Amino acid sequence: MSTPVIDTEGLTKLFGRHRGIEEVTFTVEPGEVFGFLGPNGAGKTTTIRALLDLIHPSAGSARLFGLDSRRDSVAIRARLGNLPGDFGYGRQSSGREALRLLARLRGVEGTGRADTLAARFHADLDRPLGQLSRGNRQKVGLILATFHEPELLILDEPSGGLDPLMQEEFLALVAEERERGCTVFVSSHDLDEVQRVCDRVGMVRDGRLIAVEWMAELLGKARRRVTVRLADGARPEELRSMPGVSDLETGDETVSFKVAGDLDPVIKALAAHHVTDLEAVHPTLEEVFLGYYQGQGPR
Amino acid sequence: MSSQLGALVAAHLSDRRRSLLAWGLPLGAMSAFIVAIFPSVESSISKLVEKYPSGLKEAFGIGELSSVEQYLHAEMLSLIVPLALGYLAVRAVASGLAGAAETGRLDVLLSAPVSRRRLCAAGFLATAAELAAVLLITGLITGLGSLLAGAGLEAGPAAEGFANVWPLALLFAGLGVVACAFSLRTSVVTGAVAGVLVAMYVIDLVGKLDPSLDWVRYASVFKYYGNAIQEGIEPLAFCGVLVAAAVLAGLGSWLFDRRDISG
Repeated sequence: MSTPVIDTEGLTKLFGRHRGIEEVTFTVEPGEVFGFLGPNGAGKTTTIRALLDLIHPSAGSARLFGLDSRRDSVAIRARLGNLPGDFGYGRQSSGREALRLLARLRGVEGTGRADTLAARFHADLDRPLGQLSRGNRQKVGLILATFHEPELLILDEPSGGLDPLMQEEFLALVAEERERGCTVFVSSHDLDEVQRVCDRVGMVRDGRLIAVEWMAELLGKARRRVTVRLADGARPEELRSMPGVSDLETGDETVSFKVAGDLDPVIKALAAHHVTDLEAVHPTLEEVFLGYYQGQGPR
Repeated sequence: MSSQLGALVAAHLSDRRRSLLAWGLPLGAMSAFIVAIFPSVESSISKLVEKYPSGLKEAFGIGELSSVEQYLHAEMLSLIVPLALGYLAVRAVASGLAGAAETGRLDVLLSAPVSRRRLCAAGFLATAAELAAVLLITGLITGLGSLLAGAGLEAGPAAEGFANVWPLALLFAGLGVVACAFSLRTSVVTGAVAGVLVAMYVIDLVGKLDPSLDWVRYASVFKYYGNAIQEGIEPLAFCGVLVAAAVLAGLGSWLFDRRDISG
């Protein structure tokens, strides 16, 4: 069994009277793209800063590559790339100056694939960062995080400020990094982005990790919205009492309801009627996420 | 010096390259002006100074003003240059740590395999180099002013006078590292340490003005500053202050390693 790339146990950070994170426990396996979901202030960035040893946990522990996040911080950081939320480096410096310094600090010969990435993201590495828009600064931050081909990428709200085309390019890059064998830990509140690239997601609310789920299972477990058009205008009230069926609404010719789990009993019950159309829609991650936030479970 | 430390010091100096001239040129110009006008004001100044109370003359290091070196010490090296360089020192250190935290640069640097202690050491060493460069520029311009005006400033004593400012200013760089362990706001760090700088100067002044309060001068680094342009550098005081600066920087980096760096 391989060592998890990230392994936290009861990770807690309290800021005086203010809540940071409490009892956060999860693992991220090698080669996985793990999404860390939550609204602003939920504790995503605090968790990342604890992983990077920027803040010290009040309790619990974090291990990266099997190494202690506090004691072995320097060795850990040699193997990762990090894009901080709201990336900044100072107004006067250019991306290339930052790149050269980071390459020297990492002991990397040259600046690796930085120029290739800059061309791909249309990033200007030679202008002072103070003259760049937020999105263009973010591109430079992404290049600084990835140019050395790290084993682990930690990305905090990575696509903030990127235009839709660049967001697509970013998602393609994440997929390529996974192909390369890189593990990716991405914190986001862009649920569409997470749904498209992540294998698993962890959801944080009020500083606590409330769920860790495989993306496919999470969406599969969630209730589908089924809309049926019946030729005879029937009102299949028997559906209302079926296990897993909820929110049944009837119109002139349509019946819509939500179903959790197996669809077979519903199909068999509908077979008694003349069905002219049937549509089953899987919920988006956003709906699932809101379900967790409103009712502690997939809806 | 390790490759990482060298890279960080070079980056710090590159960021602050403008400050070398921004501080060195005006201080040098002012010192050169003081030196250049000395031949024309020498006689009147001496007569004026004779009338000053002895305590006041001692407090401000005026004493006799019969030479250009004495005049340079009284006008520049006893007050303006040490206070300016002390302030520059804390500004330089604060920009490398607190300023880096404010711009987000610290997060980026600490994503690389570099320890916080090394970052602090780099900030301190870069500040030491920056101070030395500013003092060198100031000294060279002063020498040039003397040469052009025929003031006869002796190079050796003048060099000692400017060099003697270096450990004193560096002590405030060390204090700046300590302050960064408690606050990562440039304005707070600069304000706090600049306050200590002025307070130490005032304490030393009070001790000099009132002999019964001479003991308070032990609380001020200015007690060990002396008058190197006339009396030469006192090696024990010079090295002692330098060691104290390094100890403060070491303590600061130890504390900095233990603090949270919040985003």
